[in-house]
Amino acid sequence: MSQKLLEIEDLRVTFPTHQGDVEVVKGISFDLGRERLAIVGESGSGKSMTGRSILKLIRSPGRVTANKFIFDGIDLNKQSERQMRKLRGARISMVMQDPKFSLNPVLTIKDQIAEALRTHQKLTRKELDEKVLHMLDQVRINDPARVAKLYPHEVSGGMGQRIMIAMMLIPEPDLLIADEPTSALDVSVQAQVLDLIDNLIQENGMGLILISHDLNLVANYADRVLIMNSGEIVEQCNASELHKATHPYTQGLLNAMPRIDETRDELPTLDRTQWAAT
Amino acid sequence: MSAIDLNNLNIAYSSVQVVHGASLTVNEGESFALVGESGSGKSTILKAICGLNDEWTGEIKLYGEKVDPRNRADISRISQMVFQDPYGSLHPRKTVDTTLSEPLAIHGIKDNGDRVVEMLNAVGLDQRYRFRFPHQMSGGQRQRVAIARALMLKPKLLLLDEPTSALDVSVQAEILNLLKQLRKDQNLTFLLVTHDLPVVSFLCDRLAVMKKGKIVEIATRDQLAKGEFNDAYSQELYHASKHEHVA
Repeated sequence: MSQKLLEIEDLRVTFPTHQGDVEVVKGISFDLGRERLAIVGESGSGKSMTGRSILKLIRSPGRVTANKFIFDGIDLNKQSERQMRKLRGARISMVMQDPKFSLNPVLTIKDQIAEALRTHQKLTRKELDEKVLHMLDQVRINDPARVAKLYPHEVSGGMGQRIMIAMMLIPEPDLLIADEPTSALDVSVQAQVLDLIDNLIQENGMGLILISHDLNLVANYADRVLIMNSGEIVEQCNASELHKATHPYTQGLLNAMPRIDETRDELPTLDRTQWAAT
Repeated sequence: MSAIDLNNLNIAYSSVQVVHGASLTVNEGESFALVGESGSGKSTILKAICGLNDEWTGEIKLYGEKVDPRNRADISRISQMVFQDPYGSLHPRKTVDTTLSEPLAIHGIKDNGDRVVEMLNAVGLDQRYRFRFPHQMSGGQRQRVAIARALMLKPKLLLLDEPTSALDVSVQAEILNLLKQLRKDQNLTFLLVTHDLPVVSFLCDRLAVMKKGKIVEIATRDQLAKGEFNDAYSQELYHASKHEHVA
């Protein structure tokens, strides 16, 4: 990876509480080229906070600090809120976890996707309509013309997620942060959606940060994997070598998953006390 | 005796028919899975069985008796449901104790809280959680409460609607172990709705694959482990799950 899209050094996210500051991301560093990087960890490991901090979406009183925080030559540390707004969506976009809370309930699907595009580009209504329908078709929505007229409460969770992915990919950003993009989808659709994200990334030479708790998924759709636990990166490896991971936390996660040809009577669970002290 | 008999079950929401002539039999003590994509009608079947939806025609029998959707009290003593989202399915302003006692109060069962204590133990929750509110617990703990609530009336049949899909893998493992253990201890019958085939493989004996409201195939766990499906769609589902496995 010669050209770096994102360079992060010593990223910290802190939230003040009555008991003093709590650090949820504890000084992590990583680089990203035009490649697919996965951040894996359980709830509370700080993976989503890492993703959000790249877009500077951590609201006060939360604080983000980093020694080096550079996206494609732009120092994110120095960007004002107004400058960030130009980056968000157009250059870096994010697919959120839950379509139920991330779609605007009072806008139709079409208006919502069009809005994402209109914010950054000037297009005629006809062009907009065409692009929206084409995008909906690309995320494999069966009857785009019908679905475009629906409101978010009228579509299923899986469809909602595909709509959100359509919305995020339509401005053709350089970096896509996908925070659990498929946890609400069916397995068969999961593969389709990830293949779609994959295609778009390769066609446009985008970078992807895939945030997930699903190790299997990550192994197939990422080049590199960072494994996070309680705000720290515990292990880094190539996705193809994930099964050789050595850290007990990673191994615990791998073992806790049931297999399709399961023979074990009981699944091993993580002994959280083991590394809570570290 | 069979626990559930569905005979040519048709379910429609207003004018849209969601389930087309579903027939299946779940034996007593069996763990049976309904798998399929979202919108395939698997949760709809579950809702019809437990009386949450009475817009159906055909026949549903639980333990040999025809289900009358107007008599919910009877249904809920036999079968209880555990929902997908532990964050949404518990009342945010009621303590665990209130949540668990409610089914007893509704059914007029007198009890000095012994059953609550017993069920908390059964689902592996410490007694100190008894007077907590849902927001003071983790997702896995909440799902344990939801399971405890479902077991309060000593049902024979547990309807599980994606009980672990909102949880982390390690927490999922804990809940799956718990469900397996409870089934053994209390001799329960499970009807599980999921799209996660590995979960089926761990927890269930047989599965029915659904597509667009129809049951396309009924297979055993052995068939699932070997991927020996006859139907093309089941094959597709199997491969989609299979190819994303690491180890």
